[in-house]
Amino acid sequence: MVCNDNVLKVDNLDFSYEENHKKTLSNINFSVSRGKFLGIIGPNGSGKTTLLKIISGILKPSRGKITVFGKELADLSIEKIAQFTSVVPQETSVIFDFKVKEVVFMGRLPFISRINGETIEDYEISREAMERAKCLSLAEKNIHEISGGEKQRVFIAKALAQTPQLLLLDEFTSHLDINYKHEVVKFFKKVLENDKIIIISAFHDLNLASILSNHLILLNEGKIEKIGTPQEVINEDIFEKVYGTRPTIISHPILHIPQVII
Amino acid sequence: MKYFMNKSSKEIAGYTNWRKKLILMIIWGSFSIVIIDFICLNFGVVSIHPKEILSLLWGSSHDKTNSLIIWQLRFPRIIMATLTGIALSTVGGAFQGILRNPLADPYILGVSAGAALGACLAIFLQYATGYFLTPYLPLFALTGAMLSIYLVYMTAKVRYRLPLEGLLLSGVTVTFLFSAIITILIALSEKGLHSMVFWLMGDLSTANWNKITIVTFPVIVGCLIFFFFSLDLNALSLGEEEALHLGVNIKKLRLRIFIIGSIIIASVVSFTGLIGFVGLVVPHIARLLVGPDHRVMLPTSALLGAIFLPLCDTLARTIIAPSEIPIGAITALIGAPVFIHLLRRKSTKNGL
Repeated sequence: MVCNDNVLKVDNLDFSYEENHKKTLSNINFSVSRGKFLGIIGPNGSGKTTLLKIISGILKPSRGKITVFGKELADLSIEKIAQFTSVVPQETSVIFDFKVKEVVFMGRLPFISRINGETIEDYEISREAMERAKCLSLAEKNIHEISGGEKQRVFIAKALAQTPQLLLLDEFTSHLDINYKHEVVKFFKKVLENDKIIIISAFHDLNLASILSNHLILLNEGKIEKIGTPQEVINEDIFEKVYGTRPTIISHPILHIPQVII
Repeated sequence: MKYFMNKSSKEIAGYTNWRKKLILMIIWGSFSIVIIDFICLNFGVVSIHPKEILSLLWGSSHDKTNSLIIWQLRFPRIIMATLTGIALSTVGGAFQGILRNPLADPYILGVSAGAALGACLAIFLQYATGYFLTPYLPLFALTGAMLSIYLVYMTAKVRYRLPLEGLLLSGVTVTFLFSAIITILIALSEKGLHSMVFWLMGDLSTANWNKITIVTFPVIVGCLIFFFFSLDLNALSLGEEEALHLGVNIKKLRLRIFIIGSIIIASVVSFTGLIGFVGLVVPHIARLLVGPDHRVMLPTSALLGAIFLPLCDTLARTIIAPSEIPIGAITALIGAPVFIHLLRRKSTKNGL
C-alpha cells in the first residue's frame, strides 16, 4: 500500500446510521489523486451524499479509514479539515438577509483568527473567488433575492474562497440552466488544471458526470457496483442491473464520451 | 496581488464596510445613550430643573433632597435599565443565532422561568411564614435560574452533544413546568399576588448602586465575549452542516453561548424580574439597521437595548405617577406593534 501525499484514499469503509442497523455503505475502496475529478453516480438512496459526508468529516465511518494527503481523517478536527476541504451543498437554508459577498467571505473563516480578525488577503481571495465563479456582479445582492442557479454560483465561490485542496460537490447541477452547465464544465476543468486539487462530486445528471469526471463510481445499495473511466462504467448491462431499465447509450459527437439517452 | 495594486487596499469589494458601520454605530449609540439618560433623569414625581440636575451630576450643587432623588433613585434606576437593555438585546440576538430561529428570545431556554419560580417562592414564603425575605429575593431568583440552566442542559444533552431541537424543546418544557408551579403559588398566595405579578412583569424600582455593581461584571464581560463568537454565529446562519464545513465546532459554540447567555440573563433577571419583548424585537431592529453580520449586529443590539429600556422605564414610572406600571407591559405595548409591522414588511422574504 503506497502512502502518497497527493491522494485521497478510502479503505474498507463501512457506515450505518445506527448501530446494528442496515449498512448505508459497505466495503467502499477507492483512491483519487490531485488534478482528478471523481464522479459518484447511482440511484436515489444509494449512499452518494452519505459518502460525501464521511469524506468531509461530518459523519464518522463505522469501519475502515480515510487517508487525505498523507494524514488520517479520523485524527483531524473539523477545524483542521475545513482548512483543506470545502463543500458545495445540495440545498442551503440561510437565515437572515446576508449579502452575497458576506456569504462568500465566510469561506475564509477556517483561516481567520477570532482575536485578530481578517486580513486584506482574505478580502482579495473572496473577491477573486467571486470573479472566478462569475458572481462578482451579485456581490451586493441579498442571498434570498437571487435565483437558484445564481445561489449555486455563490456557494461555489464560497467554496473557492476556502482555497480547498479537496472540493466536494453534492449534486450541485440540480439548479443550473443548460447555458450555465456548459460554463460549469469549462469552469471546473480550469479549476482542476490551475489548482491541481481533488474534486469529488455526487451527480444526478449522468451525462454531466460523464463529461466532467476522470473516473466514476457507480453506487448501488451502498456498495460500489463499478468503478472506472466513464467509458467503462456507463454501460447498458451494468445500468440495467442497477437502475432496472435498459438505457440507450451513445457516444457524444464531439467529446466522444458515453451519453445516456432514454 | 492584482487587486492590491489596482484598488485602494482598504476597498476590496466593500469588505471593510462593517468596521465603518460598527464605529459609526458606537459613536451614534454612545451619544444617544448620554442624551436619553439625561432626558430620563428629568422625569419624575418631583420636578427638578435640568440645570440643577447638571450641577448635581458635576457635584457643584449640594441640595440634599435633590441629590438623593437624582443619585439614589433616578440615576441607579436608569443605569440598571441600561444594563438590562444591553443584556436582553445582546443575548436575544446571540440566541437567535445559535438556535437558527428568528423567534428566539433570551427567555426561550428556560432561565427566566427558573428565576421567576425562585422569586415567587420567596414572596410566597414571606407571606406564609412571616419572615421578611424581600432582600433575599434576588438570591432566590438566581438559584432558580441556575437550577433551570442545569435542568435544560441535562435534558438537552445527548452523549455530550447539544442538538438544536433538544435544546429548544427542553427549554420550553422546563418553562412550562416552572410556570405551572408559579401558577400554583399565585393561586395559594392571596397577599403576595400583587408583588408576584409585578415581579413577573418586570420591576426596576428597587435598583440601587449595590445591585448595579453585581450586575455590571457579568453583563459587560459576557457581552464582550459574545463579540468574539460573531463569525461563528455568521457561519451558523448558513446552516448547521455548512458551519461544520467551515470548521465551526457547533457543539462547543452552542454550549458556550447557552451557558454565558444564561448567566448574563440570570444575573439581570434576578434583580429586575421578567421584561419581555426587548430581547426578541431589538435584535431584529438592529438587523434592519446594519444587516445580519453579527460583528456589527450584536453591538448595535446592545446599544439599541441600552436606549430603549431606560425610555420604557421612564414611561412606566411617569404615566400614572405616583403609581407605576410594570415595565414589561410598556415594552410589550411598544414592542408588539413594532414587531408586527416589521414582520408584515418582511413577509415577502424568507430571511427575516
